[in-house]
Amino acid sequence: MSAVPGVIETAAAVSSGRRTAVAEVEAALARIAEGDGRFGAFLEVTGDLALEEARAVDARVAAGERLPLAGVAVAMKDNMWVAGRRTTCASRILEGFQPPGDSTVAARLRRAGAVFVGRANMDEFAMGSSTENSASHVTRNPWDVSRVPGGSSGGSAAAVAAGFVAGAFGSDTGGSIRQPAACCGVVGFKPTYGRVSRYGLVAFASSLDQIGPLTRSVGDAARLYRVVAGFDPLDSTTVDRETGDPEGALGRGVAGMRIGFLEEAEGEGLDPEVAANLEAARRIFRDAGAEVTRVSVPRTTVAIAIYYVVASAEASSNLARFDGVRYGPRASDADLRALYVESRTRGFGPEVKRRILLGTFALASGYYEAYYGRAMRVRHLLSDDFDRAFARTDAIVCPSIPAPAFRVGEKTDDPLTMYLSDVFTVPASLAGLPAISVPSGLTASGLPLGIQVLGPRFGEETVFAAARALEAAADFPDAIPAVAG
Amino acid sequence: MTSERPVVTPAVVLEVAELARLHVPEDELSRWAGQLSRIVGYIDQLAAIPEQAFGGSPAAPATPVRPDVPRPGDGDRALAANAPRRLHGYGVVPRVVGAGS
Repeated sequence: MSAVPGVIETAAAVSSGRRTAVAEVEAALARIAEGDGRFGAFLEVTGDLALEEARAVDARVAAGERLPLAGVAVAMKDNMWVAGRRTTCASRILEGFQPPGDSTVAARLRRAGAVFVGRANMDEFAMGSSTENSASHVTRNPWDVSRVPGGSSGGSAAAVAAGFVAGAFGSDTGGSIRQPAACCGVVGFKPTYGRVSRYGLVAFASSLDQIGPLTRSVGDAARLYRVVAGFDPLDSTTVDRETGDPEGALGRGVAGMRIGFLEEAEGEGLDPEVAANLEAARRIFRDAGAEVTRVSVPRTTVAIAIYYVVASAEASSNLARFDGVRYGPRASDADLRALYVESRTRGFGPEVKRRILLGTFALASGYYEAYYGRAMRVRHLLSDDFDRAFARTDAIVCPSIPAPAFRVGEKTDDPLTMYLSDVFTVPASLAGLPAISVPSGLTASGLPLGIQVLGPRFGEETVFAAARALEAAADFPDAIPAVAG
Repeated sequence: MTSERPVVTPAVVLEVAELARLHVPEDELSRWAGQLSRIVGYIDQLAAIPEQAFGGSPAAPATPVRPDVPRPGDGDRALAANAPRRLHGYGVVPRVVGAGS
């Protein structure tokens, strides 16, 4: 696996004519064909389309175009529109859905020379932390196939971890990029809310959803992020602001940087191996010259409670559009009510129904103020807590996951315990902050752990600089022994 | 605020499912009620935050605007093509007006 070139390396090789996009894409398709039977990272591999697109990239390179992602094969989570492919959100209710064109992210990747090799598996409608909620199949963790890859972007994370592709895209509503990245030992980056257009992303919770890359290196993540970031008139929540120079920031180091370790993430409840890994990160930053402190963000302790009200409420509203009239299979034509109820009841899986019911409850007359209203007010407090913390520190560090990847089936009957898998990733989502998960070490049983670096809003450069410093010194293998062997 | 917390009873599940246009079979009601009660019980920790913590209401962020210029909504036909039943380019639904009840 270590022989598989990264994003930047591939783009350089194809741009210089040393390799062709077709050869790169053929190699990726061969790796997937050979290995994905074990992991199930993909819902669909679109080889013919990918090769056709690769030929177009080679023609553009030959014509002298400079493409930052020339010939880079990417996997896209199945909730983003890519022209010519279906978008199903791993749900029966969107079975066969053909998008009208590219999402903005796909269009920007395409313009930069990337090639889409397939649709990555996910928890249905991005709701879940294990990819067990896919209507298609369960994706397995390439480090240990008895374990989940995390979720909801578990297919994207597994595809990168297994070495099928150097880069993949996911969406992150409460940790759906960072948590699977940590479980699979890859880098996962969620930009500031407003940095990346969601045009063509099927909405889950619109005040939280953000698209971002999963890669094997921090540098590759910075490259992919730079290509997709920036204002888009098709998404009014994007911010008209310079993206900056995330790749240039990689070499800055952390000398003199104030790095605050999140107090609320530490304590006796923390898994001992996660705690030891956090200590190692503390030493790395200190040795690299950072001013390491502790910082408190008190309301992070109630972040999961806020999140499951706000995200579920928004989901119940966003998913009202799936009613058997405009998309997917229709389950009944008896009357309009039966059409709605039967199509939705057959089309959605259990976790999606749970979130819709929870969200509908939180928004219902009589409960609205006590649940949705209250959660929104506490969300503001949490955001203010972060603002105060970032007045005293440049970056905040905490674990990405409270424990390594759990076993398939271990938490499926216990939704609340499953929800708590996102305890360290949800706070940045609620406050709209940029955050990255960096593979930082292995447990005694050989499972990956991740450390998360959070920055202030639009502080991507700081996040990438700190993440690169951590990556450079962290004790993490280049390849998964079982996959590489 | 904490004294009269609603519990997610099977009746509440039924009422919420009705609002959400979902059908929950009779024999699954108590399981759903149990699961949702546990989640809502966890969420109830938000009620313990004292009122004085909130202070003044936060200023809402400005909503960005864009020029209101008509442009081709290309893609609407491609989107409409996803409707499960169509006639003359329109989605077909069961008769609503004059359908009896």
